[in-house]
Amino acid sequence: MIVFERRMEANALWTLSSFIMAIVAGLAASAVLIASTGANVPDVFGALLQGSVGSPKALATTLVKATPLILTGLATVIAFRAQIWSIGQEGQVFAGAMGGYLGAQLLAGLPPLLFFPGVLALGMAAGMGLGWIAAVLRNRFAVNEIISTVMLNYLVVYLLSWLLQGGPWGETGGTISYHQSPMLPDTAFLPALFGSSRLHAGVLLPFLAAAICALVMSRTPLGYEIRGLGYNPEALRHKGVDIARTVSVIMMASAALAALAGAIELFGVSHRLRADNLIGLGYAGIIVGMIGGLSR
Amino acid sequence: MSQLFQEAIIISILASTIRIMTPLLFSAMGELITQRAGIWNMGVEGTMLTGAFAAYLVATLTGSLWLAVLAAIVAGALMGLVIAFMTATLRVDHFIAGLGLNLLAGGLTLYWFQSYIQGRAQPIFSGFQDVDIPLLSDIPVIGPVLFSQRALTYVALLVVPVVWFLLYRSRYGLELRCLGENPKALDVKGLSVSARQYLAVMLGSAMTGLGGGFLMLGFSDRFLADFTAGRGWIVIVALIAGNWRPRGVLIAVTAFAFLESLATHLQVVGAQVPHQLLLALPYLASIGLLMGLRFRSGQPARLGIPYARE
Repeated sequence: MIVFERRMEANALWTLSSFIMAIVAGLAASAVLIASTGANVPDVFGALLQGSVGSPKALATTLVKATPLILTGLATVIAFRAQIWSIGQEGQVFAGAMGGYLGAQLLAGLPPLLFFPGVLALGMAAGMGLGWIAAVLRNRFAVNEIISTVMLNYLVVYLLSWLLQGGPWGETGGTISYHQSPMLPDTAFLPALFGSSRLHAGVLLPFLAAAICALVMSRTPLGYEIRGLGYNPEALRHKGVDIARTVSVIMMASAALAALAGAIELFGVSHRLRADNLIGLGYAGIIVGMIGGLSR
Repeated sequence: MSQLFQEAIIISILASTIRIMTPLLFSAMGELITQRAGIWNMGVEGTMLTGAFAAYLVATLTGSLWLAVLAAIVAGALMGLVIAFMTATLRVDHFIAGLGLNLLAGGLTLYWFQSYIQGRAQPIFSGFQDVDIPLLSDIPVIGPVLFSQRALTYVALLVVPVVWFLLYRSRYGLELRCLGENPKALDVKGLSVSARQYLAVMLGSAMTGLGGGFLMLGFSDRFLADFTAGRGWIVIVALIAGNWRPRGVLIAVTAFAFLESLATHLQVVGAQVPHQLLLALPYLASIGLLMGLRFRSGQPARLGIPYARE
């Protein structure tokens, strides 16, 4: 007798082709949208290509723009692999920038070799605090992490809004409030990689972070637990793994990556604390992570 | 004098509670129908945003508010169709489907909005005005609070008993609740599970879209990015807080609306509190509320679990 069995996992070829299909479908949908507004589709795609990789300067800008997205994308992949649907990356990016800004004031005057690791670590710590809150809400109070992280995102955005307008960090000229902090001293700018280019040293960190993530995911017990939590949490629990602890570690690691994105934006790009250039980095990272997370 | 002032403030707080509450009520009742059918739709925010944008587009293009209401309903139902296709047919994880929909709605509405206005000044419309119900609106206190509201507000308040009747007193409601508790029973009887899931999600999302449309037509005259500002998430919290029952959800939505109304009035009265703290109150309250709600007996047993025949 012939019996149909549900397959456990898609094979590599199918996974690869669904990855390509997703990108093709995305491009096709974009083409339809562009055409729907009456623009010339090849022109738009040509301009996209030219503006992103068409010249050394464009390439440098692309790298700088990609830096926070790679980090928030990694943050997403780590959490989503474990089936933890955290969408707190947005708030964690803000927390990272806020922690970094606080650090810049506390550590002002230190030599660069101590200053930059210090402020980036403080930014990441701020993000980890946020991740920890969401983990406690999930572990102790059984609060769904999607909802709690969305609420925390709004709280952090309002906190930054208060700090910059009415709070202690705002830059005020007379009676006007600019919704931004004063400029950091140029000793606090991340150094440029080539002379005076806009390519700051922070663009190297995402590649380092991605390598570490890949190593942790494939070669360490923690990586095994992350994947195990996604596949079968029950089996993992019977193996004696402390699920609550693992969830906390994953959510804090994910938050640290997202927060690093915010801190790098602050010290590498905007050089002052403001919401404009942070908005959407976390949500875009979720899309990056979803697309990248398809390929194992 | 000060007593008169106080009375006016209290009336104003209560009236704006009702005003804030009613768009949320449409969306919450819609999401209640969806979730009682076992679909954990996280796309409320995106569905409301799309409904609001569709309403804005049609209101500014045609000038007809009721056509705009219709557009919001249709836009909501289409979003429901996408959710139903992903959850009932493809059996994608419900959370992922909803998250994807939210991101898509956020991007698409902004793209269409930008290409609609194309750099010129944004067209605006004049929305629904208050409708005084004769005689009843003359009653002191209760009159201005309850009987001098937008027309759709009265509809929203009627929707609660209608949804209750639909869920608990109709054959359709019995089958719908069965989808959320034990879809296998329907399947064994030879009734189509996925057809009923499609219908429930599209009906629910149409109401959710209407909520977004009402938010636009009743309380604004223009579209902004992230127009719904997290109200879709508040709706989901209200559903959990209301233990998936129409009356409970009504109470939860009222509580949220009261909080928001109180916050705006504190600003008007000139309380020495940062206004960001007041804006953050509903989100703080949501987290606090969810922490206190560990036992959720009303949650449908098969909520968020894709149904597949063994």
